[in-house]
Amino acid sequence: MPPRQADDYADESDSDIDILEDSGNRSKKGKGKAIDRSKKDKGKGKSSEQPYAWEASYTRSWDTVQEDEAGSLTTAVADLLARNRRRRLLAPADAIRRTIIRHLIIILDLSLSMLDRDMRPTRFDLSLEYAREFIVEWFDQNPLGQIGLVGMRAGLGERLSEMSGNPQDVLKAISERHRLEPAGEPSLQNAIEMARGSMGHLPTHSSREILIIFGSLTTVDPGNILETLERCVQDRIRVSVVALAAEMKVCREFCDKTGGQFGVAMNEGHFKDLLFELIPPPAQRALSRAAGAGANKPDADLMMMGFPVRLPDTSPPALCVCHSELKSEGFLCPRCSAKVCDVPTDCDICGLMIVSSPHLARSYHHLFPVKPYQAVTTLEEGSAFAKSCHACARSFPDAPLASSTATAEGMSPIGRYRCPDCQHDFCTECDVFIHDVVHCCPGCGK
Amino acid sequence: MDQPSHISVILDLSPSQWHLSSLPQNPYPLSLKSFLAQVLAFLNLHIASKHENTLAIFGAFPGKSVMLYSSTDPASDSSDSGSPNIYRPFEIVDSRVVTRIEEELESIDDSQEEAPIGLVGALTKALCYINRIKHPTPSTQSNGTTVEDPATLPDPRILILSVSPDLSTSYIPIMNSIFSAQKLKIIIDVCKIYGPDTVFLEQAAHLTGGSYVYLERRDALLQHLVMSHLPSPALRKLMAVPTQDKIDFRAACFCHKNIVDVGFVCSVCLSIFCRPVAVCTTCRTKFPMSTLRRLDAYLPRAAKQANGTAKTSAPPTPTATGLPSTPR
Ligand SMILES: [Zn+2]
Ligand SMILES: [Zn+2]
Ligand SMILES: [Zn+2]
Ligand SMILES: [Zn+2]
Ligand SMILES: [Zn+2]
Ligand SMILES: [Zn+2]
Repeated sequence: MPPRQADDYADESDSDIDILEDSGNRSKKGKGKAIDRSKKDKGKGKSSEQPYAWEASYTRSWDTVQEDEAGSLTTAVADLLARNRRRRLLAPADAIRRTIIRHLIIILDLSLSMLDRDMRPTRFDLSLEYAREFIVEWFDQNPLGQIGLVGMRAGLGERLSEMSGNPQDVLKAISERHRLEPAGEPSLQNAIEMARGSMGHLPTHSSREILIIFGSLTTVDPGNILETLERCVQDRIRVSVVALAAEMKVCREFCDKTGGQFGVAMNEGHFKDLLFELIPPPAQRALSRAAGAGANKPDADLMMMGFPVRLPDTSPPALCVCHSELKSEGFLCPRCSAKVCDVPTDCDICGLMIVSSPHLARSYHHLFPVKPYQAVTTLEEGSAFAKSCHACARSFPDAPLASSTATAEGMSPIGRYRCPDCQHDFCTECDVFIHDVVHCCPGCGK
Repeated sequence: MDQPSHISVILDLSPSQWHLSSLPQNPYPLSLKSFLAQVLAFLNLHIASKHENTLAIFGAFPGKSVMLYSSTDPASDSSDSGSPNIYRPFEIVDSRVVTRIEEELESIDDSQEEAPIGLVGALTKALCYINRIKHPTPSTQSNGTTVEDPATLPDPRILILSVSPDLSTSYIPIMNSIFSAQKLKIIIDVCKIYGPDTVFLEQAAHLTGGSYVYLERRDALLQHLVMSHLPSPALRKLMAVPTQDKIDFRAACFCHKNIVDVGFVCSVCLSIFCRPVAVCTTCRTKFPMSTLRRLDAYLPRAAKQANGTAKTSAPPTPTATGLPSTPR
């Protein structure tokens, strides 16, 4: 983690203006910001410590870490990690209704500003790498969702991949770096309109989301972008922006008015955090509130779905309807018996949505989460205390840990977390593992 | 190839099922006692085949689940001096497991005997245990000194020896366990020793890359265990381990538990129904009338299909699929 980044940002308190001022020669040098920064570092030094608004809510991890008595950072870091993980799993306890069937269009900035090297190796390469990780994880948590890709390059919106429920299809579209080489200026309006156009036909019970990874501070639009914003609100499209440079008012407005999230990445790690915050299915309540006038539309519906039969790879080969390839394995549409390569998908012949039952089951844990465990604070209350973790049989410490200075935020000083239903005790690792991965309490089996 | 391996065994110890299994009118009656003898012989083989091999044994009892033995928490009983004729580690495993099972079975009273089997608990405990040994933390300082190098634990696997039928209420937790096993790259092997095939465990084996075997010659249990479950996953790639060719990915409707081809799914909670309903019975969501009218058009056919194909799990022959290819 390079701490220099944050200091740099704090120093150049008015970089927006600078960049706009010398935008003429900016295109020539391309790295105007970096040069401005070094000039100013000498002039102003650390005089202006006023952080940007978007920095206020971000606690820098290196500020909160403190050495322990032995001068070692390991316990502090472990503490911090554990606390962060616990905070994350305690947060979404109340949201019940989540949008399970999601449609997302990722808009990638492919303008020249993405070649800036303030993130390693470049904004462009880093965005591609994180986009890949994001797509894999997104499909893991949203198996019934679909993702499309749009690029912003040379003032145009460019369709990189159609909406698809198959992660491989989406990943293939951004696997060839040379086809995505950044050029020209971005156009938010063109790209958003293109994304909006490809989501118009979607049913109301599914979400429509746009995620913009935006590295520029300008946009070249053919018309009034606020009209586009108006239409997005009408269509109940949720727009989220992860900006790599600085906050742009129009981006912030898009997110606020459509119920999306806005964030400015401070460094590489923060960039990834901002992206990955958008992976869990959004609570549906927020969506309908943001929609306002459109809220009377039904947000629940009954969907017809087909459950296919899987053909083993020993069956006689036949042509698939999706790629027209001769192969043995595949899935049969239960309504028209067409053979498709992969599920979930919409049948190419009859349009039936084909899913396998494990795909549905993969989403159930969002709907029926494990209740958060309560931290056991003292050994006195009650009498029966198990010697070891109910799940992994790791033995509990007998006395409170010496180094645990922070007992706040639901941390247990004796490392015990108790299920409110079955009253069994679990260790920290199992607590996190059960809530993050297993989604099922070993004590009560629910 | 000869890396040490870890195996977590889950024993299904339902007293009533084992009683049925031992009845002499079965083709190959198998009692719990002889079952345990053969399983312990298999586990001894596993320990003996490599010094670093590790082992954990979980028991699924009616209404609860217990860790019976684990090689990282060695037996605390130093009381019995041990017989000079038996390799010490074998004796520890055998005596620990047998006494723990006896204790647990003793403590079950008649009212609990019919409680659903604690398979989910045993499975999740096995997952937590493997997660623990895969990620040894510095906080396990207490007395363990069992800090293992995670690199020495490739491809841990879970072996389920099942005798109980599927429990429809445990569908979601079992699926959740399967997905977490996938994430941790744990193979789940299933050996079905008695009772009907279980769809859930079939899916568990399929989705994690393990094998599901219905044991017909139950007198050959030990041989089967040794042949297909003793080799480590790395070795198994070179062997012809029995796999299933047909897996049923159809779902059961929530209303009648019928197996359906085409179902109607609530967009909020993903409950599956075999016919259009006005209100979701799980989450009480009301569906719009327009949808119902639209879907009713399909109803006669869908209902016919649901009834016609229920319980007939024969895979349709793919002969009718030589469809004209459709360029998109
Ligand atoms: Zn195909
Ligand atoms: Zn079809
Ligand atoms: Zn634990
Ligand atoms: Zn519990
Ligand atoms: Zn039904
Ligand atoms: Zn529902």
